[in-house]
This record gives sequence, C-alpha cells and structure tokens, in this order.
Amino acid sequence: MSSVDESATAIPSVSGNVPMPRRIVLGFRRWWPYYVMLAPGLIFFVVWHYFPIWQAKMAFEQVRIIPPNIWVGLKHFQTLFTSPVFYQVLANTLIISTLKILFVFPVPILVALLLNEIRGGRFRKFVQSAIYLPHFLSWVVIAGIFISILSPSDGAVNQITGFFGAKPIGYMTDGNASRWVLVFSEIWRSAGWDSLLYLAAIIGIDQQLYDAAEIDGANRWQKVLHVTIPGMVPTIATLFILNMGMFLSADLNQVINFINDVNRGQIDILDTYVYRIGLRTGEYSLATAAGLFKAVIGMVMILAAHFVSKRLTGKGVW
Amino acid sequence: MADPAGTPIRRSPLERTEYAIIVTTLLLLVVVTVQPILNLIAVSFSDPSRVAGKSGLDIWPSGFSIDVWLLLLQHPNVQRGILNSIFITASATAIGVVGTALMAWGLSRPNLPGRRAIFILVLVTIVFEPGIIPDYFLMKQMGLLDTYWSVILYKAINAWYLIILVRFFEEIPEEVLEAAELDGANPFQVFFQIVLPLAKPALATIALFYLVFHWNEFFRAMIYLNDQGKWPLQVVLRQFVVEGDKLAIVGADNAANNIGVAQINLKSLKAGMIIITILPILAIYPLILKFFTKGTMSGALKG
Repeated sequence: MSSVDESATAIPSVSGNVPMPRRIVLGFRRWWPYYVMLAPGLIFFVVWHYFPIWQAKMAFEQVRIIPPNIWVGLKHFQTLFTSPVFYQVLANTLIISTLKILFVFPVPILVALLLNEIRGGRFRKFVQSAIYLPHFLSWVVIAGIFISILSPSDGAVNQITGFFGAKPIGYMTDGNASRWVLVFSEIWRSAGWDSLLYLAAIIGIDQQLYDAAEIDGANRWQKVLHVTIPGMVPTIATLFILNMGMFLSADLNQVINFINDVNRGQIDILDTYVYRIGLRTGEYSLATAAGLFKAVIGMVMILAAHFVSKRLTGKGVW
Repeated sequence: MADPAGTPIRRSPLERTEYAIIVTTLLLLVVVTVQPILNLIAVSFSDPSRVAGKSGLDIWPSGFSIDVWLLLLQHPNVQRGILNSIFITASATAIGVVGTALMAWGLSRPNLPGRRAIFILVLVTIVFEPGIIPDYFLMKQMGLLDTYWSVILYKAINAWYLIILVRFFEEIPEEVLEAAELDGANPFQVFFQIVLPLAKPALATIALFYLVFHWNEFFRAMIYLNDQGKWPLQVVLRQFVVEGDKLAIVGADNAANNIGVAQINLKSLKAGMIIITILPILAIYPLILKFFTKGTMSGALKG
C-alpha cells in the first residue's frame, strides 16, 4: 500500500507536522482492524488474479516439462499472426459480436417499451416473472433446451415450420444456422432480464412530461416516440458502449455448449480456440499468446468504453 | 404509466386494438419462454415408451410415469452430482459472502489509508483478464487441480459484487457508527453488531448472486476436475446432453446388455436431467425475483 503516507494526513488525529514514520505508526494504530478485515479479500485478489498475470509470461516462453522454461520472445505471437485458423477465429468472433449487437441488443428495449404500456400491475408482474427466468439458467441447461427445441425429428421449431410445409432442418448440425442459434439463444436468455434496466430508466422519466404530452393531444405512439424513448437514450447509450467494450468476448460459456465438429468453422471464437489449442492439444504457449492478445485488445476496448461512456452519459463501467 | 386510480379513461377502438396487440405480443413472449421448460417437464413425467416422437409443442405428459425421476434420483452419478453441486455452491457462497463483506467494509471507510490503491488493484482485475491457460497453470502449480478448492475459489470474491456492497456500506449514516464508537465499541464490534445487521438485505442479495453464479458454473469445473466423482451437476448434465455421451448416465454395462437405464428412452432421461438441474433455481425463484430486481435496479447502473 504505497499511498499510506499520502492519505494518512486526512486523519484529523494525526497532525501534518508529525514526522512521517510516526504518522504511519499512528495511522496503523487506528486502522489495523480494517486492514485485518481487508486482508483475506486482498490476498485472494492478488493470488487469484495477479499471479495469473505473472503466469501469462509463458506466452513468451517455450514451456518445458522440466523447468525452467526458455525465453523465446515473440515467437508464439508470430506463429499466431501467420496462422489462418487464428484469422478465421477472429473473424467468427467479430461476426458473432456484430450479429448480437444488431439483433440481440435492441430486443430488451422493445420488451421494456411493451411492458411499460401495460396498465394492470398483476399482468405485468406475471409477464416479468416469466421472461426473467432464463437469465438464471446456466448455458449448459439452455443448450440442452435448445437442442430439444431444434431437434429435426420432433423439436418445436421444426414442428411449426413443418406445419407450413417446410422441410425439417437440423439447426445444431447446420454450420450456416449455428450463428443464428447463438443469436436466438442469447435473445431467449437475456431479452427479458435486460429489459429491467430499461424499465428502470423509464420509471425515472418525469411524469409531468407525459401529462404535458397528453394535454398537447399526443397519442400512445407520439408519447413513446417523444417522451419515453428520449428518456431511455442515456441508458441505451451506456449499455451500447459497454457492449462494444466486450466485443471480443462473444461469450465462451455460451459457445462452448453449442460448438461441435460440424459448426466449428462458423462459431469457433477466440475463447474456444484458446481452450481447444491450450487444454486439448497442449499448445500452452500459443494458447496463452492468443489469450493475451484478446486480453490486451479487450482491456483497451473496455477502458475506451468506460471513458467514452463516462464522458457522454456520466456512467462508466464501474 | 399507471393511470390514477378511479379515473376511467375512455379508449378509442384504435387504442383498444393497440392494447390488445401489445398484450398478445407479451403473452407470446411468455409462451416462448416457458413452453420449452413445460415440454421438458411433460416429457420427463411421460410414460417412457410413449416419448419417442412426442411433439416438442406438447406441454402435457403422454401417459404418466415417475420411472425417469426414480431412475435418475437413484443414479449414483446424479446423486454424486447433486451432492457435489450443493457442497461447492454452499462453501463458495459462504466464503464469498464473508470475504466480500469484510473487504467491502474496509474499502467503504473513506479515510482508510491505501483505499484508492486497493480499489485500483480490484478494478484492474475487471479490465484485464489474462485468460484460462494462466489460470489453469496457477491451479496446477498450487496443486489444486482435481480438488474441490479449484472450483470453490474460482471468483470466490467477485469484483462487481464487492463494488455493490462497498456502495451500500458507504451509505450507512456516519452518526450511527460514531454513536457506537462513543459507547466504546471497537471496529470489530461496530462491524459485527451494527453494520452487519443493518446490511442484511444487501448481504442477502449478494449471497443470492453468489448462489446462482456457483450453481450455474460449469466451465471451471469442466477444466479443473478430471475426477468424475467430483463433478457438479452441470458438468454431468453437459456430458450427457450437450456432449451426447449417453454412457455418462446409462453406463457402459447397461448399454452393452440393454438392461436397466438403457431401456429407458434417452429423450426422457435428458429431459429429466435438465429439469433436475434447474429445480433449485425454480425453488428459490421468488427470492431471486425479489432480491435480484432490487439489486440490479440500484446497483448495476450506478456510476
């Protein structure tokens, strides 16, 4: 804790002209119980989050069964950046993230607008209770549910399309469909729950604005267009920017449960690639290099998102 | 926009049609969300011999049988999975709540020397994640692979939940704490006797966050735990349903001789497994709605 000396002056009982070592002693005498309570958490963060950062140096090393590892500099990054698979994986990640921004992001906004039009408190509560549920299910469960819904023989989707005369499609084993399976399962999981954030924004809108619009003879659509949506814009902007910050994480937990040998070409993302070459085929250093690549770009994007968002809307990532 | 009570507003036919469309759309969302789950419940309670080809649109069992449930609940792998999940979730949640509360309390004291540095140290972990391979090697070097600890300690203290709790503690009025200090209470007594009782709703929220997170966690368990005897339910489910490894539940001997579980339709078994895994979430769902809604509305977007 390097800033102990600086901030210690803030304590009224320790005056500014007491010599420094003594100030630290006095500060510690007052604050030690708090440090004791902080300690377990602090140790946890250092061990569980900072040791791995140090460990990531293996991206620059040749891992040997018998230590020490050999320093090889940027060799693994060169391998990575000349590998066609890496570019395919990067492209998949960007495509899936783009699809999600385009098709998943707007849905909860629409759901919130619909929910807001409901007058009866009971019906609204009922709808909310139902559509929030998938957010609390694991991706393993959701994948299980989607495998069942999309089954070519008796799944609900093919039953419905079959009713209109379409031939059954094996969505889970159709490479072209697989990205859309990711989009729709993400909507199924998060559209309901995420609408809550927008509902909170709508609740914050000044009722007088609606009253004024009513006096001006505005109908339902005009009120939505000129009062509700403008009132949601800060929240929409914040969440959009935060989503952009997460652009390189197309969601490992989701994809790992939908990926198979048939659709790998379309939905293999950076994280699943790291997992596969690292833990399945044992190319530890190459995998760590790919992970570091994602971590560094991801860090830049999250920080950019944070500061842009803070600037525009006053709300940051944290 | 709730209409003030007792002031009937005349709606034009157009407005009533619009309203009907909105209600119908929302009902459709409810159906799309709930129907797949009801279908799986129906399949799991159907007579297993009548399940083959049963439409995914059905929400009513064909025949009635609890064979699938009896089989699954008596199955050693499933029982093991349930116990492992309960053990991991309970330990991780307990450790998480205690560790987060203690740390949040220290961090919430505005004059604590070093507070800013510790905050930055925590925020860095949100922004920079070096990935799963370094995590894996850390586990390996600490000798924690294939132990429950590897899973229990994963995100044991969640930076986001920590921040939510710090914000909550910061709002406890200073006078309350000063009064206790004047009565001669030391910082530990203030924390345990004044702060914690005041923070009960916030702690319950955090506990529930951890509970749901750890119950649903599967990826770390999947990569850290080789020993199938330590697998939580999510990993057993994944092996069986997602990876399509029917031996995970049916068992090699049974499959080879077509006896026991092997005679039950796989579709019934899969449906049953999925429902068993979400049962605890369904059981505490009213609590989740109550606490998550508040926690998210107040915490997530504060900045």
